[in-house]
Amino acid sequence: MTQKPPRRGTALRLHRQLERIWSPDPRFRGWLTTNNNNDVGRLFLAVATLFFVIGGLLAMLIRAQLATPGSAFMGPEAYNQVFTMHGTVMMFLFAIPFFEALAVLLLPGMLGTRDLAFPRLGVYGLWVYIFGGSAVIVAMLMGLSPDGGWFMYPPLSSAAFSPGIGADVWLLGITSIEVSAIATAVEIVVTVLRYRAAGMSLSRMPIFAWYILVVAVMILTAFPPMILGSLLLETERALGWPFFQVENGGDPLLWQHLFWLFGHPEVYIIFLPAAGMIATILPVMARTTLLGYGWVVAAAVSLAVLSFGLWVHHMFTTGIPHLGLAFFSAASTLVAVPTSIMIFSWIGTLWKGRVQMKLPMLWLLGFFATFVIGGLTGVMLAIVPFNWQVHDTHFVVAHLHYVLIGGYVFPMIAAVYYFQPLLTGRFHYFRLGAVAFWLVVPAFHITFLAVHVVGLLGQRRRTWTYDEGQGWELLNLIASTASFVMAIGFALVILDIGITTFSGLRGKRNPWGATTLEWAAPMPSPAYGFASIPIVRGRYPLTDDPDLPQRIARGEGYLADTSRNRREALIVTTTTGKPLQVAVMPGNSALPILLAVVTSTSFLAPLVQAYWLSALALVGVVIVALVWVWTTAPRQSEGLVDAGHGARLPVAAESPDPPGWWGSLFLLVADGVHFGSLMFGYAFLWTVAPNWPPPSYLVPTLLPVLLALGGAAALAAGPRLAARAVATGHRTALALVLSLFGALSLATAAASVMLARQDPAGHAYDAALWLLAGHVGFHAALAVIMLGYLALRRISGHGLRVGEARIVSLWADFTAATGLVALAAAWLPGTFA
Amino acid sequence: MTNILRLALPFTIWLIGFSAIYALQGLTCSRHWPEELEPRLALIGGAAVFVVIQGLALAALLALQSQSRFVQTAATILGTAALAAALWTVLPVLTITVCG
Ligand code: HEM
Ligand SMILES: [Cu+2]
Repeated sequence: MTQKPPRRGTALRLHRQLERIWSPDPRFRGWLTTNNNNDVGRLFLAVATLFFVIGGLLAMLIRAQLATPGSAFMGPEAYNQVFTMHGTVMMFLFAIPFFEALAVLLLPGMLGTRDLAFPRLGVYGLWVYIFGGSAVIVAMLMGLSPDGGWFMYPPLSSAAFSPGIGADVWLLGITSIEVSAIATAVEIVVTVLRYRAAGMSLSRMPIFAWYILVVAVMILTAFPPMILGSLLLETERALGWPFFQVENGGDPLLWQHLFWLFGHPEVYIIFLPAAGMIATILPVMARTTLLGYGWVVAAAVSLAVLSFGLWVHHMFTTGIPHLGLAFFSAASTLVAVPTSIMIFSWIGTLWKGRVQMKLPMLWLLGFFATFVIGGLTGVMLAIVPFNWQVHDTHFVVAHLHYVLIGGYVFPMIAAVYYFQPLLTGRFHYFRLGAVAFWLVVPAFHITFLAVHVVGLLGQRRRTWTYDEGQGWELLNLIASTASFVMAIGFALVILDIGITTFSGLRGKRNPWGATTLEWAAPMPSPAYGFASIPIVRGRYPLTDDPDLPQRIARGEGYLADTSRNRREALIVTTTTGKPLQVAVMPGNSALPILLAVVTSTSFLAPLVQAYWLSALALVGVVIVALVWVWTTAPRQSEGLVDAGHGARLPVAAESPDPPGWWGSLFLLVADGVHFGSLMFGYAFLWTVAPNWPPPSYLVPTLLPVLLALGGAAALAAGPRLAARAVATGHRTALALVLSLFGALSLATAAASVMLARQDPAGHAYDAALWLLAGHVGFHAALAVIMLGYLALRRISGHGLRVGEARIVSLWADFTAATGLVALAAAWLPGTFA
Repeated sequence: MTNILRLALPFTIWLIGFSAIYALQGLTCSRHWPEELEPRLALIGGAAVFVVIQGLALAALLALQSQSRFVQTAATILGTAALAAALWTVLPVLTITVCG
């Protein structure tokens, strides 16, 4: 950094100015309008912890019921609800939100930036999660929970066998939570790729950033199949579209495919953030650096993709051909390779360092002891004949808890202890943490070793009770007793962290001697994070330059100039980390929470058959979203601004690839996977559903085909021309009209499919056609809304930016391309039949 | 961005190839498969194409070096691993009955 002699008081003055610019609104209002990652992340973390407690209480109810044979504590109806809710709450309301919360809190610090790329999107995601999660819990308290297990297999979850709204609560509530996860994932991806310290090239990124990048991309590709599955099942339940009903051309196996296309990657979506935390904490605890950084990155990437090729191993007992079994057995054994690379990297790191037995380290040892066993039983389960033997027994339950608790909960506790000084500025002074550890870990092993054994002896999972005299009594009693001890231990952990947060000792910066940037910020981190954007020259900036924190505070990095009086962050090139643009971050606003309210209303209103309210809320979504983008778009051009260090950079919103363009790109990745899943479902039914072919196929006529082709061409060309016109200062009206014309013709072609087949409830084929056409219609409508926005922007005299036109162009391309594929898929079988 | 794609490429090809072979297997056992075509031959053919493409991807990664040394090393590891993964996962095609 520059060698200006430090002036006394500079840091303090800078701090005051930045504090004024970045601080949330005062008092209670601040909680509703803040979008600062510190506030959002804290609330996120607290809510996720609350759901862990709820899930844990449900687990205690399960174990209480199973403690003795023939127990009268719960009947089968209650038991079904309790274990379904336990699995659902733990997987969807605790595990995923919890690491997302940590990422929201920690990523900006680790990357050396001031906030996440889309702070308001983060707030939106948080509140959609809070509303959706609360709805699920409220329904449970009213006795209306789902009871079909956390994977909701039809036909059990269909309208015929699960009447009432339990299954709908699950489908709608969980889908809204997935929407929220996708919002956060988009935010994370763009942040890691673009918002970093100057000079932070890919190879200098902290390892957690790699892991969380990989995980966020996995969320974008794994959740859409599940969202599609929920959409299909909900339309079947509500409207009778028979996607999973064999008599009418559906196939319940389709659900299993869609669910596990999500469900298996989900396991790694949960494990990889934990692995990222381990790779972050372990080297610091061992006073060394991570062994084999490049190998670990490669292992994380390969594990992420491999995990998408394993889904059928959850379906080994569904009667698929042997060759199919062999494929997935082979692929499943493969994941042991990258996992082992990670484990060896950790062991090697411990080996080359000097381990300090601090509390986070203790929990990491708990992880090692547990996860290795879980991995071994996982490999056992990947072997088909063994899998057949223990399928749906408590052996599987024990395996999955070894992986989830050992591989996720323990590392996350280590992470919370490790980052607590950074997040709260306080240190623990009681030995409560160690006591809790020695309660939880041994009790955990006693519980689930016993559960392994009863599983091998044949006890079925998801079964409310068992008979005496099978030799299971003692083991179950041991498991239940130990699980209560474990629960007390977890309660002590939460208590310990709570006590420290509110009354721990204040301490000095960077107590563990960490090497990464988050520890260069003041403790606890102020709203603005860094007083100036750091400049890094290696992977371990705090080792390279121990004075870095002071330099940052004195404003010797980028963007220390507060005279523009707004929140600014640096955008860098993805590979090299060279400063590229200045991003202007949005201020406090109630819009995100408002958008979350209307979104959640439109998701949850159908639960009480208030379809009109749902539709109304959808209109609200459009309006609020438009106001949101309208008010954040820049008003006048600034040209280049001074970013410090002699760099004059463009403002991001004025560049051809503003953050919104990148966000759209990754949102479209998710949308594309959703569309791909839809095509997969259609092809699946066409190939294997028993009651096919349908009574008749749709035979296309010339006009709709021409409309589709012409519409797609116009929709692809129009926005491009508009973007070019904006760039060269020409008139955009004609291009916009052309685009509008394209969107409308595409929509008309889609409508023709629906008009030709008026009974989507008749056969799964017709239902699929309606969904394909619906996909086209929905995206055409989106295109129309976006074009309307561009037109309004122009007419109102605000002027258009190239970036805005290019964002619309991106969506229009997607609409045109998937529209053509969808309509071709609808028309082809009839053409050749 | 191209460097990120470079890292993602090898296993993405593996995933597409693996899914395609599985889909092909499903198709060979379905009502749409023409009787005169031997399923195993089709599958072996498909598997061969898959492995060749996976090999070509590795070759391309080696031929078009990245300007970032880190990315180049990681991409080479990933390309090699994906090729090995492709070989391992298509092995069953040679040894197991197709539709039983
Ligand atoms: C706190 C200690 C825990 C205990 C004592 C416990 C106990 C149990 C038991 C006994 C079952 C089987 C119910 C049955 O099949 O009859 C179960 C199911 C399950 N648990 Fe846990 N659990 C705990 C924590 C967790 C955590 C932390 C997670 C996830 C992060 C989790 C995820 C699941 C899932 C996904 C199921 C399957 C539910 C289903 O079959 O639909 N559990 N748990
Ligand atoms: Cu799996």
